[in-house]
Amino acid sequence: MKRVDTILLKVFLYGIPVVAVLAVFAYLYSTGVVNHDTGYAKFANSFTGLVFAVWMTLAIYLSIRLMVSGPFREQVIAKITFLRERDEREAILTGKATKATFLTSLAILIFLFCLSCFQVSIYRVPPDKAVDGKTGFVTLGLSFSLLADDKQDRPADTIPKEHIFSYRGLPISSEMIILILILWHILSYNYSMRRLIK
Amino acid sequence: MPGMSKSLPQLKIVNRLHVLRAEQRMTQEQLAKEVGVTRATIVAIEGGGYNPSLELAFRIARYFKTDINTIFSIEEEI
Repeated sequence: MKRVDTILLKVFLYGIPVVAVLAVFAYLYSTGVVNHDTGYAKFANSFTGLVFAVWMTLAIYLSIRLMVSGPFREQVIAKITFLRERDEREAILTGKATKATFLTSLAILIFLFCLSCFQVSIYRVPPDKAVDGKTGFVTLGLSFSLLADDKQDRPADTIPKEHIFSYRGLPISSEMIILILILWHILSYNYSMRRLIK
Repeated sequence: MPGMSKSLPQLKIVNRLHVLRAEQRMTQEQLAKEVGVTRATIVAIEGGGYNPSLELAFRIARYFKTDINTIFSIEEEI
């Protein structure tokens, strides 16, 4: 099992640059930059899909192994950070680096949570709809939805508004946020560990 | 736990590891190998940047055929 995990982990890690290159190709293909009519492009697109599917399956398997296997976690941390706990001092430094990563990640998550809940809207209404003679408005709000597609029956605006600025939560996709957090975890741990080990 | 809320004075632990090592004409690398740690850990202990665990302290003391108090001691209270 350990040998299989080692091989699969290597395939997964060495596959990252390949997946990145193929992702660029897939993007160019979907946007029409690459000609769809050539047989070569069609084959490359199908191959890209196959590689993505295999890599994602591998990612799911490895993430489950990472959750359930302690020795595998040790193996992974040595691979992704290029640092291994060789003695008790490095084990303590690992703990400190993990603590730093955990706390900074927590701070980022709280910050992102606030940004995703916060809503601002600045708008003007026609002079005949002015309230107390004022036509410019700033509305501040907080929004929290349990589900991603929590569509509610909101009443339509009865007053025509000229929106000047509108912010309704983070304009980044959830996939991008998760990817940023994964990269942050790896980079933050790596940086903390290297700083402490000096 | 009782007494946990009290802020106790920090103890500065000093060691004579570099002296003992010099007496034995050993390199940091050799000592590290003998006691099963990295050279960086020996450097950190000698420089006062890291206090070893009780286990490692005993291993070092055993290697030099002495007791822990000969190698590690409390210099002052900060």
